[in-house]
Amino acid sequence: MTAPRTVLAAAGLGVAFLALPVLGLLQRTPWTGLGDLLTRPAVADALMLSVLVSLVAAAVILVLGTPLAWVLARVQVPGRRVLRALVVLPMVLPPVVGGTALLFALGRRGLVGQWLDAWFGVTLPFTTAGAVVAATFVALPFYVVAVEGALRAGSDHLEQMASTLGARPLTVLRRITLPRLMPAIGAGLALAWARALGEFGATITFAGNLPGRTQTLPLATFLALETDPEAALALSLLMLAISLAVLIPLRDRWLPSR
Amino acid sequence: MTTRSLALSGTTRRNGFILGMNLELTAGETIAVLGPNGAGKTTLLRLVAGLERLDDGTLEIAGLIVDDSTSFKAPHQRPIGWVPQDRLVFDHLTVSANVGFSPRATPERVTTLLAALDLGELANRSAGECSGGQAQRIAVARALAADPTLLLLDEPSAALDVESRHLIHQALAADGRPAALLVTHDPVEAATLADRIVILEDGRVTQEGTPAEIRSQPDTRYAASLAGLNFVDAYARGTTATTDAGAGVVLAEPAVGPVHVVIPPSAVALHTTRPGGSPRNVWQATVAELSPAFDRVRVALDGPLPLVAEITRDAVDRLGLRPGSRVWAAVKATEVTAHTA
Repeated sequence: MTAPRTVLAAAGLGVAFLALPVLGLLQRTPWTGLGDLLTRPAVADALMLSVLVSLVAAAVILVLGTPLAWVLARVQVPGRRVLRALVVLPMVLPPVVGGTALLFALGRRGLVGQWLDAWFGVTLPFTTAGAVVAATFVALPFYVVAVEGALRAGSDHLEQMASTLGARPLTVLRRITLPRLMPAIGAGLALAWARALGEFGATITFAGNLPGRTQTLPLATFLALETDPEAALALSLLMLAISLAVLIPLRDRWLPSR
Repeated sequence: MTTRSLALSGTTRRNGFILGMNLELTAGETIAVLGPNGAGKTTLLRLVAGLERLDDGTLEIAGLIVDDSTSFKAPHQRPIGWVPQDRLVFDHLTVSANVGFSPRATPERVTTLLAALDLGELANRSAGECSGGQAQRIAVARALAADPTLLLLDEPSAALDVESRHLIHQALAADGRPAALLVTHDPVEAATLADRIVILEDGRVTQEGTPAEIRSQPDTRYAASLAGLNFVDAYARGTTATTDAGAGVVLAEPAVGPVHVVIPPSAVALHTTRPGGSPRNVWQATVAELSPAFDRVRVALDGPLPLVAEITRDAVDRLGLRPGSRVWAAVKATEVTAHTA
């Protein structure tokens, strides 16, 4: 199909608008000192912390998100429409609002947080665990949407087939549902991980900005922008590269291109 | 006491559709349920498999109650094997893992069945690479490997190549086979595989019998159409029966009361002028449609009696038949059968 010129022109403008900031970043990147900048102790600390926080968040997302996606796709629960909306809420909610909400729920005086503190002596705000909670909160929907979509796209006829052959429900899940879901689980996990890695607003609100404990890459970048713009550029470039590396192969899996 | 592989007596309702039936299968017996689309054939299979529930009544498989008002056994707790109509192989597994999927399958059974369905060479291939015919053979082997007491067949060889069809029919007819409930709309497949035929229309059984019984005395238009027969309801008084539309049919044997009149299409002769001589039944009609049927032509006629005549291509040419042609249709009284409705 050939597109009308006006449509092409508008689409081109859209691409330019999205690509321009990236070009701006690339044009100012101090390419020669890149290795130096990225190995500075402060940067390395933030990098290590980010890797740790995002990987733990991804693991939590895998464990919580898979059953959640399955229920949303396959189980007739009352109020499923509302539930589905609630699950993707963090995708449209300003992360700062998410962080504030987490503070009132899991903070030392929060709804659940006060009991966590009183019974287990667990405090989440301003700890690395808190940063994991914030990252999980914003990234979980990305995983659930990917896996739920894959489950809803396929019928459950193969599962029914397996059950008529004598397979128990857990066997059906293990031998049919999960293996067939692997591509979607992989894609959803990569996207959620990338989102967790880039989390800023909820983290700084709920977990604070403590170097070595809660100061992840995006927080370090923001801070560096005032004191050390070159380092900020280097960090930005790093995160840009990671995001593109995840999106280019997986975007079609996440939003099926048919 | 005879062992019953299946005993169903009950009803189930789905979105306004009601399926209500009594059905029994003895061990080793194969029943074909024939019916038009939407008659409830697939609902019946899903009910027996445990994918639907009875609203009232009882369902028994191999002497075990699997569904009634107080108890329900899930599909995996029923001694069944299902051969689906659509391609439902496990694409992410190998052919032999598909056939051996059931926890009830033994390695020996799997090996035997792979060979029986000519899948031996594909055993380690991914099932996702298989053709439609191979996939359906996998489905048959997989269901038989589950060692079922009752096999559920949903149009098992619809639209298959001749070779796959043959292998599947052979496997399903082998010694020591389980009882089988076959649903299909293909009368040839039903007659090939089944001992007994049940006709299901609009959620109800309209006729039961052997293929020969149904061919000789169909009770509904659908049953007659399976054998390609003309069928009309009429009211008989002696040797004349009057149809609802008012056409008279002369019968060889006298009868009284409502009857089903059956006329084989090959018994309908066509003429361009009114025929003289022996035929007792002569109606004037208009050719509605000509459709080739192998080496003959089926001619649908509009007239006092809606009829299909089956004549040779030569006869069509000789008579110069086209849609709209006016013809005389003649049937000998001895070719007309009428049985009590």
